[in-house]
Amino acid sequence: MISNTKCECGHQNHIGTVLCEACGKPLIELPDDGQMPAEMRYDGVARRSQKANPSWIDRIWNFFSSVKVAVWLIILTLIGASLGTIYPQEDTFINLDDPAAYYKQNYGNFGVIYHALGLSRTYQSWWFIGLLVMIGTSLVICSLDRVLPLYRALAKQQVRKHLQFLTRQQVVYAGAVPGDQNTWLDGFAKQLKKKRYRIWRDGDALLAEKNRFSRWGPYINHIGLIIFLLAVLGRGIPAWHMDQYISIDDGQTVPIPGTNFFVKNEKFTVEYYTDAELPPTLKGSVRPKMFNTKATLYQCTAACDDPTRDPVLERVKTHDIQVNHPLAYKGLKLYQYDFSEQLRLISVSPVIVNKKTGEQFGPFKLPMRNPALTYQVGPYTLELKDKFMDFGLDEQGRPMTKSRDPNAPAFVFLIKGPDLSAGGEPYIYFPKQNDKVKFGQDVLNRAVADKLDIRVNAMKDVSFSEYTTFLNVRVDKAMPFIWTGAAIFMIGVVIGFYWQHRRIWLRFDGGTLTLGAHTNKNNFGLRNEVAAALNRTGIDVPAKSLDNRRKTH
Amino acid sequence: MRRNKTLQFVILAAVLVIGGYAVFQSLFQTTAVMKAGNKPPEFRLLGLDGTAHDLSEYKGKPLILNFWGTWCPPCRAEMPALQSVYDRWKDKGVQLVGINLSEEKLTVQNFAREVGASFPILLDRNRQTEKKYGLKQYPTTFFIGADGKIQDIMIGGPLSENDIESRIAKLMNAKS
Repeated sequence: MISNTKCECGHQNHIGTVLCEACGKPLIELPDDGQMPAEMRYDGVARRSQKANPSWIDRIWNFFSSVKVAVWLIILTLIGASLGTIYPQEDTFINLDDPAAYYKQNYGNFGVIYHALGLSRTYQSWWFIGLLVMIGTSLVICSLDRVLPLYRALAKQQVRKHLQFLTRQQVVYAGAVPGDQNTWLDGFAKQLKKKRYRIWRDGDALLAEKNRFSRWGPYINHIGLIIFLLAVLGRGIPAWHMDQYISIDDGQTVPIPGTNFFVKNEKFTVEYYTDAELPPTLKGSVRPKMFNTKATLYQCTAACDDPTRDPVLERVKTHDIQVNHPLAYKGLKLYQYDFSEQLRLISVSPVIVNKKTGEQFGPFKLPMRNPALTYQVGPYTLELKDKFMDFGLDEQGRPMTKSRDPNAPAFVFLIKGPDLSAGGEPYIYFPKQNDKVKFGQDVLNRAVADKLDIRVNAMKDVSFSEYTTFLNVRVDKAMPFIWTGAAIFMIGVVIGFYWQHRRIWLRFDGGTLTLGAHTNKNNFGLRNEVAAALNRTGIDVPAKSLDNRRKTH
Repeated sequence: MRRNKTLQFVILAAVLVIGGYAVFQSLFQTTAVMKAGNKPPEFRLLGLDGTAHDLSEYKGKPLILNFWGTWCPPCRAEMPALQSVYDRWKDKGVQLVGINLSEEKLTVQNFAREVGASFPILLDRNRQTEKKYGLKQYPTTFFIGADGKIQDIMIGGPLSENDIESRIAKLMNAKS
């Protein structure tokens, strides 16, 4: 069916136009008495996509241009997002070795199904991201399709509208005016101006309008949403997003994987609540009040990728990392995540005692990690022959290390010096006193134990790590865009919600005034404004009676 | 109307590119855990021989990558089996490289000497390579084909000579 889109005023409208773009006459004849208020959405203009013969590209465009489709997309996304909240998501665990087993163990058969359907990774799934992409597309196309025609329609409004256009508005008044028609019109315009309306006149027709900018609110809001969505998708770019955990002993420096930064835990401190500070029910329990990692961030400047040399580090920043106070540098953020109490030696500075003469030599500094291979202490030469981080014996009774951490360090030296054989004599040294007793250092060293002793004289010669701190390393380059998007979104919401676009049209036909007024929200306010202006110009009419929708008699 | 067409086209193309990238990312998200068919992550590590070695220098021939530590009893136990397989295959184009799990050179050297392991051993630092390979258990042994793709992963140990031999046979079959 080819419908005639030419209006009686002579204006040629686009297909899909509801109200004539020029005079506002309804183009679609309503079946009943014509009392129904007019369809004023987008000022009755056709959406861009409404075309006579759509091509395939138009068809895709039209699909996304539909608000109905947009609503369905949003509903589907909401349902999808809610599915992801039934059980914890995989990415909320730090070390989930076997997710399938975890879901089975904790949630039974439903857990198995949940994991098998990929719902344990809902927000990273192709269909969820696909829905987000489609919502984004819909946002762009819906907005463009409506905002441009609406802009054009509002930019070139005709002052004199068709009578039917006025009587079909939601706020309508018809009747005679007191006194001279033109004097009354001047007075009425003045009243509206006081209310900050802009006035256009065309002979005895008048158009008053205010707060047109409120119409742009939803579109500004959509721009914000699009930025927000793009930023969320941007997290998929590898360099934009990082979330990992590292553990560092006091005094230890570790690289941050995937960056050329290193971080050193200078000192971790924890403060606990005293019993006096705790409520009665918690008295006697250990409650941390504050934990703090004094951390230094280093940047590698040379030999970063050369395993034959130590990397050259340059200090960047030192910061006290506390909960909610991360160390931040160029988008890299280190958050305090956890800690564990673990007494580990960092280094000792022992002396060598010649048991015969009682002479002391040293001290010499012996670090637990990466010690030097030879030490010259007084007349003694110590050659490091073997080293164990966590001393123990294997099944065959051979010495081995039980872990990679310095929990029970042991050093095997070949010592040369006074009273020792020329080729040197082996000596095993346990820096920790309890290991020395536990593993029988003196028994292992046999005769040498009678000739010399390696010992630490005072606590000041021992440096140890009390705690291991756990830091969460994050990079989220999308955040500034998310905030920008959210701010623009909010601005759009405020513009759209707190102001209303109000328009009043009026015309005289044979001395009778017809007034129609339209707003996109708060009809009540508009009726009051119109009624007040009418009252002040001598037409006594209650605001309620202007409501066209309630005129049933 | 001409301008409208271009605009439509530009917007739909942008959607296709951005959306396509996002969906593609989500479909092919690589987790740290390696699977057969994956390409092993690059590394550059110091060898016991004192020089740096890249994964790329082992390209073109089947490679067995064994992650081990002196503190891990099954790792210790499978060393002799690895060494004897290495002796048998080193001249027939099979490479075997041990990657030590971030221990000190001295400790590693002593242990290798003690068990008579003469195959090349590289030293991981700060657990970086181990993390890249997504290790969960020790030892873990990767069997990498001449095409540079992982063919088999053996998690845990100790491996017997037979375990290793049967996988080498597969590697050699794939090659010819």
